[in-house]
Amino acid sequence: MQPVMAQYIRPEVVAYAVFFLVLLLTLGGALVAVIPKSIIHNVFGLATSLVGVAGLFIFLGSEFLAMMEILIYVGAICIAIVFAIMLSQPMHLQIPPRWRPKVAFSFVVSLVVFISFTVMVVRTPWEQAVRTSNDWGVKRLGTLLLTRYELLFELISLVLLVAIIGAVITAATASGEKTSESQGGEEGGA
Amino acid sequence: MNSLTVYLFVALLIFCIGMFGLLQRRSLIGMIISIELMLNAAAINFMAFNRFLAPDPSVGQIMVLFIMGIAAAEAAIALSLILALFRKLRSINIEHARDLKG
Amino acid sequence: MNPAAPSDFVLWLTLAVMWLPFISFLVIFFITRTRLALSLAVSVSCASISLLAAWYLLLGLPATHPPVEFKLLWMAGAEARISYGFLLDPLSRLMLCIVASISFLVQVYSLGYMAGDEGMAKYYSFLSLFAWSMISLVVAPGLLQLYVFWELVGLSSYLLIGFWHHKFSASEAGKKAFVMTRLGDLGFFLGIIVLLLHLGDLSILKLNAQAAAQLSAGLVTASAVLIFMGVVGKSAQFPLLTWLPDAMEGPTPVSALLHSATMVAAGVYLVSRLFPFYAASPDALAVVLAIGTITMLLSSTMAMVARDIKQVWAFSTVSQLGFMLMGLGAGSYFAGVFHLTTHASFKALLFLCSGVFIHHFGSNDMYEIAKNGGRRLKVPMITITIAGAALAGVFPAAGFFSKESIMGALAELPNPGWLAAGLAGAAMTAYYTFRLLFIVWFPRKIETPQHQENGHGDHAAHSSFGYWAMGVPLIILAGFALVLGFFGDWLLNFIHWGRPPEFFHHVWLAPVSLLLVGCGIGLAWLEFGRRKAAQAGFLSRLPRVEALFANRWYMDAFYRRMVDYVVYGFFSRLFTLNDRRVVDGGVDGVCRATVGGGWLLSFLQSGLLQYNLFTMVLIIALVGLYFLVMH
Repeated sequence: MQPVMAQYIRPEVVAYAVFFLVLLLTLGGALVAVIPKSIIHNVFGLATSLVGVAGLFIFLGSEFLAMMEILIYVGAICIAIVFAIMLSQPMHLQIPPRWRPKVAFSFVVSLVVFISFTVMVVRTPWEQAVRTSNDWGVKRLGTLLLTRYELLFELISLVLLVAIIGAVITAATASGEKTSESQGGEEGGA
Repeated sequence: MNSLTVYLFVALLIFCIGMFGLLQRRSLIGMIISIELMLNAAAINFMAFNRFLAPDPSVGQIMVLFIMGIAAAEAAIALSLILALFRKLRSINIEHARDLKG
Repeated sequence: MNPAAPSDFVLWLTLAVMWLPFISFLVIFFITRTRLALSLAVSVSCASISLLAAWYLLLGLPATHPPVEFKLLWMAGAEARISYGFLLDPLSRLMLCIVASISFLVQVYSLGYMAGDEGMAKYYSFLSLFAWSMISLVVAPGLLQLYVFWELVGLSSYLLIGFWHHKFSASEAGKKAFVMTRLGDLGFFLGIIVLLLHLGDLSILKLNAQAAAQLSAGLVTASAVLIFMGVVGKSAQFPLLTWLPDAMEGPTPVSALLHSATMVAAGVYLVSRLFPFYAASPDALAVVLAIGTITMLLSSTMAMVARDIKQVWAFSTVSQLGFMLMGLGAGSYFAGVFHLTTHASFKALLFLCSGVFIHHFGSNDMYEIAKNGGRRLKVPMITITIAGAALAGVFPAAGFFSKESIMGALAELPNPGWLAAGLAGAAMTAYYTFRLLFIVWFPRKIETPQHQENGHGDHAAHSSFGYWAMGVPLIILAGFALVLGFFGDWLLNFIHWGRPPEFFHHVWLAPVSLLLVGCGIGLAWLEFGRRKAAQAGFLSRLPRVEALFANRWYMDAFYRRMVDYVVYGFFSRLFTLNDRRVVDGGVDGVCRATVGGGWLLSFLQSGLLQYNLFTMVLIIALVGLYFLVMH
C-alpha cells in the first residue's frame, strides 16, 4: 500500500465512508421497498434496507442486535414474505394501476408528518441521563431478560406462539372455506 | 455519525417512506413491507436513544428485541391473513376489500 | 359651588313627588286595572299628593334656599361615576310644580273626558307613567338620568298618542312621534357620550359651572349642538316638527299634557337646564336662536290655514316653543323659562277647552263646532277666549309679559332681523288665534243643536259631574293664564340664584308689539269677525301659498319622498339583496357545504383501509404540529 493512500485511509475516514454506505443502503433500500410496482423488487429493497439498519445498529454499539436484525428480519420475515408471494402464485402478477391523486395525497400526508416530527427533533432539548452502567455485553442482556424482564420475555414468547398458531389456523380455515366459496364465486363470475 | 440527531433523522426518513408506502400501495404485501420499514424506524430510534441518552445500554436493546419479536408475529399473522383474503377475493388489491363500506 | 345635601323633610318630600306617580302606575297597571273606580282614586290621589308636595317645594321653602342635590351611586367606572338622585334648584322646583299641576288638572279633567272609555284604567296608568317620567326628568341631577327619563317620556307619549290604537291614524301618529323624536335623541346621546368621554362626569351643576373651563370651545359647541338635536326632536323644532300636529290623534287631555308641561316642554327645559353651558358657546346659542326663529315662522304660517282646532293649537305650540328657544338663544334665561311657564298654563287651557268642544260635538273642525253652537258652552267659551288672549299676547294676560321679555332679549341682539321675525311671529300668532276665536264666536248660521252621538262617552259628558270635572280645571287654568304674567318679577328673582338677572326693558317695545298684535286681531276681525265677513282668510285668495301652508311647507311630503327613496329605494333593496345573497345564499352554502362535507366524509366509510389511515395519520401529525408550534 502506498504511503499517500495510507494518509487517507485513516480509521475515522473509513468509518465515515462506511457510515454513508450504510445510510445509502438503508434509505435506498427503503425507497426501493416502496416505490417500484413489482413486489419482488420491493422485497429485495426491504432486505437491503434491513441490512443497512443492521449496519446502523453496529454503529450504535450493538453487534448482537445487528446479527439478530439480519437473522430475524432478513432471514425470517423477508423469506416469509417471499414464501407468501410464491404460495399465492398469481398475486405478484396482478399489479394494480396507481391512482395519482391517492399517491399525491399520501405524499402530502407523509410530508406533514415528516415536517412535524422534524420540528420536534430539532426543538427538543435532548439531555444525556447519568449512566448507571456501560455494559453492552450479551451476557448482561441475557441476565436481564431472564430476571428483570422475565415477564415481558414470557409474554413475547406467548405472543409469538399465539401468532404462529393463529396464522396456521387462519390460513388453513380460509383455504377450507375457499373451496366452497370461491367455486360459487367463480360460477357467479362465469 | 456520532450525533443523536442524525440517527433520529434517518429513522424519521425511513418512517415517512414507510408511511408513504402504507398509504399509497394497493397491494397488501406492499403494505406489509412498508409496515416493516416503520417498525425498523422505531427500532433505530430506540437504539439511538439507548446509545446517546439512556442510563443503561441494555434496556434499549431489550426493547429492540421485543420489537423484532412483535414484528415477526405480526408478519406471520399478516401473511396468513393475506393468504386468506387472497383465497377469498382472488386479489390482493386492498381496494377490493371493502366489506366494511358503510 | 357645592350643593348642599337635602334635609330629611325635603328629601322625603321630593321622593314622594318623584315616585308617587310611578307607584300609582304600578298599582293600576298590575293590580287594579279591572276595577275602574279604585284605579281612578289611586291615580288622582297620588297626583294630588304629588301636586301638594311640589307646591310646597316651590313656595314653602324660602326663595333663597340653596340648590339641593341628592345622589345615590348608580354606576361607577374607572373614569366616570353616574348617580341617580335629584337636584332641587329654582328651575327644577318651578318646573316640578308646573308638571305636577298640569298633570293633576289633566287627570281631573280626564275624569269627565274619558268617562265611559273601556281603557280608562289603562289610560290613567299611562298618565301616571308620563308624570313620573317627566318629574324624574325635571329633577335629574345628571345628564344620563335625564336621558333615561327623556326616553321614558317619549315612550309614554307614544303609548298615549296611540292610545286609541284601533284607529289607524292614531297608531301611525304614535309611531311617527316615536321615530322622529328618536332621530333627535340619537344626537343627544352622542352629545352625552362626548361629554362623558371628555369630562367623566355628567352632573348638571358641574357641567354648567366647569365645562366651559375644562373643554375646548369647539368641543363645547359640538356637544351643545348635539344635545340640541335631541331638543329639536323632542320640542318639534324645525327639521323634525311634523310629528307634533299628528300627535293630535291622542285623546285631547293627552295633547294638553303633551303640549304644555311634559313632552315638548322637556326640550326647552333641557336647554334652560344647561343654559350656562350653552351660554359658554355663542355658536351653539346662535344655532338655538336660528332654529327657534325658523320654526316659529314656519309653524305660525301653518297655523293660519288649519281648519282642525287641535291642529291650530299644535302649530301654535310649535311656534311658541320656537319663541322660547329664541328667548334662550338670545341669551335670556329668564325669558325662555318665563314663557315656558305661562305657555304651560294657557296652552293646557286651550287644549282642554277644545277638548270640551270636541267631546261635545264629536268634531275637530272649527266651522263644524261653530255651526253646532259652540258658543253655547259658556265655561269653555270664556276660558278659551282668555287663553287665546294670553297666547296672542293681549295686555293683561300672561302671554303678553312673557312674550315681552323675549322681545326685550331679541332687541338686545345686534341684528334687528331677529326682532323683526319675533314681532312678525307675534302678529301672526294674534291673527291665527283670533281667527279661530271669531269663527267659533260668530258662526254664520246656527243650526239647531243636534246631539251627535258619535262622540265617545257622550252621555257621560252630559252628566253634571263630567261637565264640572272638565270645567273646574279650565277655570283654575284660566285664573293662572290671567295672573301669571304679573309674577314675572318674582320669577325673575326666583330663578336667578346667585347670578345677576338679565332682563331687558325697552319702553318702546310694548306699544309696538301691542300695535302689531292689534293689527293681527284687526285683520282677523275684518275677515272672520264682522257681520258681513266671508270667514275666509286672505290666504284663500292666494291658493298656492295656502296650499303651501296647509301642506306644512311640503315637509311631510319631503319626508315621505325621503322615506320612499332612501328607505324603500335604497335600504330595502340592500336588505333584499342581503336576504337573497347573504341569507339565502348562506343557507344554500351551508347546505352545499354539508353535502360536500358528507361527500368527503363518505370516503372514510368507503370501507377502504387507507382512507381511514390517512385521516388518522393526518390528525396525529397536525395535533403534534399544533403542540409543537404552540409551545
